[in-house]
Amino acid sequence: MFKLSRKTITSFILIACAAFLIFSFSALFKNSVQKTFKPQLSLIDLLKREFSGIIFYHRNMVELDRLSSDAGNLRRRLFDLREIEQENARLKSLMGFKQKSPLRLVASRVIARSPHSWSSNVIIDKGRYSGIRRGMAVINTRGLVGRVIEATENNSKVLLVNDPSQGISSIVQRSRQEGLVNGSLGSNLIMRYLPDDADVAVGDIIITSELSQVYPKGLLVGKVINIGKEFSGLSRYAVIKPAAELSSLEEVLVIIP
Amino acid sequence: MKKWLLILFTLIVLATLQISWPSALNFFRIKPDLLLAFVISLVFYFNFKIALVSAILAGLFKDAFLPAPMAINTILFSLWSYLTFRLSSQVSTDNNYVRLIIILIIALLNNASLGMLSLNSGSYIPAGIFLRNLFISSFYTVVLSPFIFKLTKRIAA
Repeated sequence: MFKLSRKTITSFILIACAAFLIFSFSALFKNSVQKTFKPQLSLIDLLKREFSGIIFYHRNMVELDRLSSDAGNLRRRLFDLREIEQENARLKSLMGFKQKSPLRLVASRVIARSPHSWSSNVIIDKGRYSGIRRGMAVINTRGLVGRVIEATENNSKVLLVNDPSQGISSIVQRSRQEGLVNGSLGSNLIMRYLPDDADVAVGDIIITSELSQVYPKGLLVGKVINIGKEFSGLSRYAVIKPAAELSSLEEVLVIIP
Repeated sequence: MKKWLLILFTLIVLATLQISWPSALNFFRIKPDLLLAFVISLVFYFNFKIALVSAILAGLFKDAFLPAPMAINTILFSLWSYLTFRLSSQVSTDNNYVRLIIILIIALLNNASLGMLSLNSGSYIPAGIFLRNLFISSFYTVVLSPFIFKLTKRIAA
């Protein structure tokens, strides 16, 4: 085996660690690594989808039939709703309401996930070229997914709501009770700092509050599935099942404010 | 030169596999640490210089896809590589079972360090999830290690 003196080894480790510690801070290094990995990640993503399409052919066929009939029904409802929307707009303008600006969304695919189990994040295939910036909220068709923590030219890193470093100011939709939703790395989230007399019940819907600096108000976070008392006994917590299925995310929408 | 290229290629393949690990192969939502297993197996089959440089590269690849600003995996991988090298000069690591035990201990230490750092930064991780990540991830890494050993042996040959 190649022999080195202890001093040389220690110096080498220290120099390497210090150099790469500095490099890891620079976005340039991360950008190039992510750029290197993007083609094979996109290819793997494509292969995964194609394989699951073949393996689950029958299930997909049944699902297609069901969705086709649903689409027909929804198209009819959409037509009715368009009528109502136009009527609503007319009435609002008559009453002088200020129209809320609609959210601009950028659709993106998930191409990679966190390399270990101590954090919960995904890499999406759109970045700064698509208008995505750090801090933007990310949703999918079911509800809140997370926020962008890093954006390179063609990729972005999204911290999911179940990451333990997440803290989302939220409210109970029914009672407007405020609380802080934290991730726990598991499949559920925890709403903490609820007072002992908080008006919260199993089945309540949790949405983002206007106190949140990152997330727009009213995004669906999840549903309360259990309520408990904190170990200190001073406050209560609610266990929340996230609306978005975080373990099998494929497409997400980034909210451009 | 050819070996360096092969190692770099394997590192890229394993890193790609780790970040796109199919959810169907997750065990209790936990994935194995293939890069850690490869980094340690390099110490068994190659000289220390190659193992250490590969450990730094593997750590960097892992850190590039993580939200933490600090290159913690780069430091930890280098440290585990160095400690395994020191250990292998003290005890015989020719037996595969001994190698698996070393991987298990290092995987446990690595997961414990990452978990403690996460807790130390103020994150809330329930005890059950902490233990699940600590043990299942480590054992899962050990279960897949024989394949990594075979792969490393083939590169070294």
